[in-house]
Parts: sequence; C-alpha cells; structure tokens
Amino acid sequence: MKAERKRLSESDGATSVLVVLMGFLVGTILVALVGKNPLNMYKALFQALSGYNIDNGRMNVRYIAETLNYSVPFILCGLSMGFANRVGLFNIGGEGQYIMGLTLAQTVALLGPQIPVLHWVLAILAAIIIGALWGGVVGILKAKYEVSEVVSTIMLNYVALYLSRIICLQLPGATTYKTANFPKTALIENTFFQAITHNSLLNNGIFMMIVAVIIYWFIMEKTSLGYGMRATGFNKDAARASGIPVVRSISISMAISGAFAGLAGGIVALGSFKYGRVLAGMDNYGFDGIAVALVGNCTALGTTLAGLLFGLLKNAQALMQGKQIPKEITFIIQGLIVIFIALRSALKLYQEYLDKRQLQKEVGVK
Amino acid sequence: MKKLTIVVLVLLLGAFVFAQGTKDAKPADGRPTIRLLTDATGIDDKSFNAAAWRGIVEFYGDTVENPANRGNLYDVVTAQTQDMYIPNLRQAADEGYDLIMVTGFTWADALGEVAPQYPNQKFTIVDVDWVGQPNVMEFIYSEEQGSFLVGLAAALQAKEDGIANPRFGFIGGVPGSTITKFEIGYIQGIRSVFPNAVIYDYYANDWGKPELAKAQAKNWYDMGVYCIFSAAGGTGNGTIAQAKEYRAQGKNVWAIGVDSDQYTDGIYTGTKSAVLTSMLKRVENSSLMVLNAVADGTFKGGVVQMGMEDEGVGYSAANPELSASVRAQVDAAKTDVLNGKIKLYKTYKEALAAGAVPAGLAALDD
Repeated sequence: MKAERKRLSESDGATSVLVVLMGFLVGTILVALVGKNPLNMYKALFQALSGYNIDNGRMNVRYIAETLNYSVPFILCGLSMGFANRVGLFNIGGEGQYIMGLTLAQTVALLGPQIPVLHWVLAILAAIIIGALWGGVVGILKAKYEVSEVVSTIMLNYVALYLSRIICLQLPGATTYKTANFPKTALIENTFFQAITHNSLLNNGIFMMIVAVIIYWFIMEKTSLGYGMRATGFNKDAARASGIPVVRSISISMAISGAFAGLAGGIVALGSFKYGRVLAGMDNYGFDGIAVALVGNCTALGTTLAGLLFGLLKNAQALMQGKQIPKEITFIIQGLIVIFIALRSALKLYQEYLDKRQLQKEVGVK
Repeated sequence: MKKLTIVVLVLLLGAFVFAQGTKDAKPADGRPTIRLLTDATGIDDKSFNAAAWRGIVEFYGDTVENPANRGNLYDVVTAQTQDMYIPNLRQAADEGYDLIMVTGFTWADALGEVAPQYPNQKFTIVDVDWVGQPNVMEFIYSEEQGSFLVGLAAALQAKEDGIANPRFGFIGGVPGSTITKFEIGYIQGIRSVFPNAVIYDYYANDWGKPELAKAQAKNWYDMGVYCIFSAAGGTGNGTIAQAKEYRAQGKNVWAIGVDSDQYTDGIYTGTKSAVLTSMLKRVENSSLMVLNAVADGTFKGGVVQMGMEDEGVGYSAANPELSASVRAQVDAAKTDVLNGKIKLYKTYKEALAAGAVPAGLAALDD
C-alpha cells in the first residue's frame, strides 16, 4: 500500500515541482496557441532569472535584483498564509494586514523622529505590530466566538483599504494619490546593493525577509508553541483534550500570521517607494501570498522557493510584454499552478479509493 | 521515468533557447521607436491610455485593430502594481527605444527619479508639468477650455428647450487638480448663460465604478436635473447608461461625454444619442506631436500646453440634436476664450475668489 501511494503522489515537495513544471508546460502551449513564440517567454524568464539578455547579449544584474525584490512581499505574505494554515486557519486577510502595515510604516516614516536607523526600525516595527493586531483580532474572534476567519478577514481587507485612505490623506503633503516624500532616515535602501546592481530597488527588506523565514521555521519546528499550533491544526479537539491551549494557539497564530503580512507592507512602502501612497486599489501581494503558501506547502523553505518563483514571474511579466507575449500568461501560469496543487488533494482521494479496492481484492482472494 | 522525460524536455527547450540567440535588428527606415508604459488599466481603458496608444499607432500608419508594426517600431508594457513603475522605466531605457512615453500623474515621481539617470534617453509624459528634466517633454491640457465649451453648449441647449432655471450635475472620478479644471470650466460655461444656475457635484472616488455614477445620475435626473457631465473615466459610463434609459422613455435629460467623443456610446435608437456633446481631450495629439518631434530632431525637454488653439481640447458636435444655433454660439465663444475676453480659472480657489463658481463644491485643488 505504501509503495502504491508513493508511485502516485510522491512527496509534497516533488508534487510542487511537478505542478510548477506542468504549469509552465501548459503556459507554453497556450502561448503557441495564440500564435506567439514560446521561446520569447523563456527568454524573458531567463533574463529575469540571470540578468542575461539573450537577444542582445547584454548582462545586467539589475534584473536579478528586481526579481529578488519582487519576491520579498510574496514570500512574507506566503509565510503569513502558511502560518495560519498550519494551525488549520485560512487567512485571506493577508492583503488587509499588508495594507495596514504599509499605512503605519508610511505614517511613522512621515511623522516619526528623524534619527538614522531608529526611524526606519520604528516604522517597520509599527508595520509588524499593526499587522499582528489586524490579524490577532480575527484570531480572538475565531477562538472565543467561533466567528469564521474567512469571512472576517475578507471584510477586514476592505476596512483596511479605506481606513488606509483616510489615514494617508491626513499625512503631511497628502494629495489625492501620494504624500510628501519620506525623510532619508526612514528609507530602507541599501546603497551597496544599488551600486552593484545598477540602481535596482533591492533594499534591506531582503534581510528582514530572511530573518522572518528563519523565525517562521524556528517557531513551527522547534518550539512547543509551534508544536501546539500544529497539533491544533491537525485536530482541534484532540489538541484541546491533550491540554494544549487552543484559544491561545489560534489567537497567537493569527497575530503572527498578520505580523508577516504587515512586515511585507512596511518593506514595500519604505523600500520600493520614496513617498507614501494613498492607495486607490490593492497591491494584491496578500492574495498572491495564498497561492505562494499553497505551492510551498506552508513550509519555510517551500514558501521561500515559491515566493522566488512568483517574484520571477512578476519581473518576467514586463520583459515578456516587451517581446509581445501577453502579460496575462504569467497570471495563467500562476493560476494553473494553484489549480494543479488543488488537484493534489483529488489525487489523494483517488489513491485512497485505489487502496480500498486493492484491499477489498486482497481480502476477497483470501 | 515520466518525470525524467519532462526534465529532459525542459533542458532541451533551454538549449534551444540559447541556440536562438540572435540580435534584434533595429528598423532601418529611420522612423523612431517608442515604448508606451501604462498603469494597471492598460491600453484598453477606452480613455486616456487608449488615446495615447491610438496616437502612436496612427503615427506609424497602422490601425488599433491591426497594429502591424507592433513589436517592431512600437510596443506597450503595462505595470500591474505601482512598484513596477521604476523597474519598467529602467528596463525600457535598457532596451534602447528612441522614446519612452508614460501617461498620467501617478508616473511623475518614478519618471523624475529615472530620467536623470538616463540623460540621453528621451522621455515624455502626459498630464504632468512638474518633472522638469531636460530629457522629458511634458504635455499638459487646458481641460477648463473644453469643459467650458460643453457647459456652455448644455446651458444654451437648455435655454433653447425653454427650461426655466435648469439645474446641472457634475460627476468626478478621484478628486484632484486635473478633475477640478473640468468642473470649474464646466460651471463657468453654464454660468455664462444662467448666472445663478444650481450645480450639484459628486465624486465617486474611483475611475471604474459605473454603478456609482448611475445611481447618482438617476437620483439627480429624478430631481429634475437637465444635464450631467462626468469626468470620471469608466465611472462616467454609468451616467450615460442612465441618460439613455430616461431619454428612451421620453424624458428630456442629457449626459456629456469626456476625453473621447462618446456620441456612439449614448445611442439608444437610430442616430438618437443621450450624449449631447463630449468634452474632447485629444491625448493622441501628444503622441503624434512628440513622435514627430523625435523624427525631425526638434525634441526638447519642457512643458507643452495643449489647448483649444491647436485642437488639443474641444467639444463634439456629433449629436444632430445639438442645435445649429447652439453650435454657432459655442464656436463664437471659442474665439472669446482664445483672445482672453472670457477668463477661465484653473483652480477652485481662484474661481471661488472671483465669484465664478458657488461655494461648497467637492472639488480639490491638489
């Protein structure tokens, strides 16, 4: 039976890789079907990955750096989704937590004390804390009053968007779409990166992301807190019966989950922009984080790799359009990957059915 | 085994990609090359970006339906999120286009940052006059002139219809200095005929929510408002939809289109359209003008004012129900505006101080 299972679904990691390859394969076929050259798609992906432009033979590391920079919010929002998911919660509120993080980071950047280092540290901390609160509230409601976290997080996304507009319109120098420029002390730019990558937007946010990934891994795999959370995720009642504080697990996990998304918002606000934005719409990093976590199986390493993939696709998007490949193709690939990942569960059901048949047969023969 | 096959296929594909390493030859016919960069709405927005694109396509003798030289002489890259603006600008600069065009004020900061880093690259932007770089040609439109004409046309038509004390409505998208020019010009046009006309205004805070405009328009028409001008992008289509419904029922109400001639959008039967006239803002003229400037070597940085004298703005006389005498009077007013006999204001503050508009409007000056 075990051997049988192996043959169909392998390990989760291998499935993800297979699924990604399938996504690209179908994407390639689609590009060919609309009459474009799929090679151009791969040229664009290759340039986003390596910085090498095959068409004119020029190398520019900036493209690698931009891929990394785009990956940062994807990975963090993936961690946000993943963390809640491991506790059995579905956090669709990553976008709202991201927006609140972004808003608070902008507020502190414009109003905080202009002391080098301390200023941006405060702004980032504010982003993390508000993200944690925004997620934590949902956790408490869920744990204490059984309010569906799916509904409340979706609703809070819109609350966050409009609240963000209200707050940002009050900031210094605010017009209908932007605020005044941030003071230099609030930026998380990295002049060394800028020098070696021809002025890419890559910034210190990447270090914060790496720390976040390590923290994620550590909490999940190495602490009793994480153990309790995972136990809650597997079976809430069993966990409660074994003396694990389920209410606390759920609240804390939603708070930590929100903190990751809030951090993502803070990094994008202070790293990719030199002024505060009055958001007119959502950036969608929070929503894309759901897909990132699914592809990455909610593990630290998997989510990081999946986030890098999404960052790669995002950076390749502009390059593809320059080669006349419709940008929608990257969304299709992302969408296909998510669908195939979902199919994995179907595969499991089919496997169980096969196992049952096998068992019945064996019993019947005897 | 299956997986191995896939891996081999992918590797083969990769090798194929490298084998294809040919350089893109620049077109030899001496015509300039251009890349258009747009925000997330892309060139299918039926408004601003579409107009810029139309101008580009026209310059090369193509049509929007059949852009034969796309990918060869011109192309377009859409930025999905705002953090892609700067990378997309730099990427376009890397690829060696003669000219890079961006549309809309949300690009101004990104362009202001990138343009000085590529002093030999020509850039152009529409609706912005504050980038101030020697390699950036900036186009700004006198929207108040065109809006004055449509306001005047609507008021004269009301007079002709024998309506005592007609009331008028204005629906804006996101409030800001550009839309304020539309509103102030429109009101001045109306008040030059009915000095005490009642004006209602409403801002949807969104460019893509026609349902909001439709609800507001229904409300106003029911109250007895004669004509509504919407300068709100896609949102304004709701006004036209409502006006169509009511005109088809025989009510004498009108909508006024914006940017492009929306006469055909308002047709409810035969040649009868609910769009009395449209305020024309010919963004395509900017594309044509800047491309011609690049082609004949007269391109230089600085602000270009697009007004009535060079047909940059105007009004549409496409609707046969707009009476001939109204047209004659509006055309006569054009001269008065051009020779300064009629003074038009650009900001709410100025207009309010001069007593040209009522107090309590929702217009914002920044």
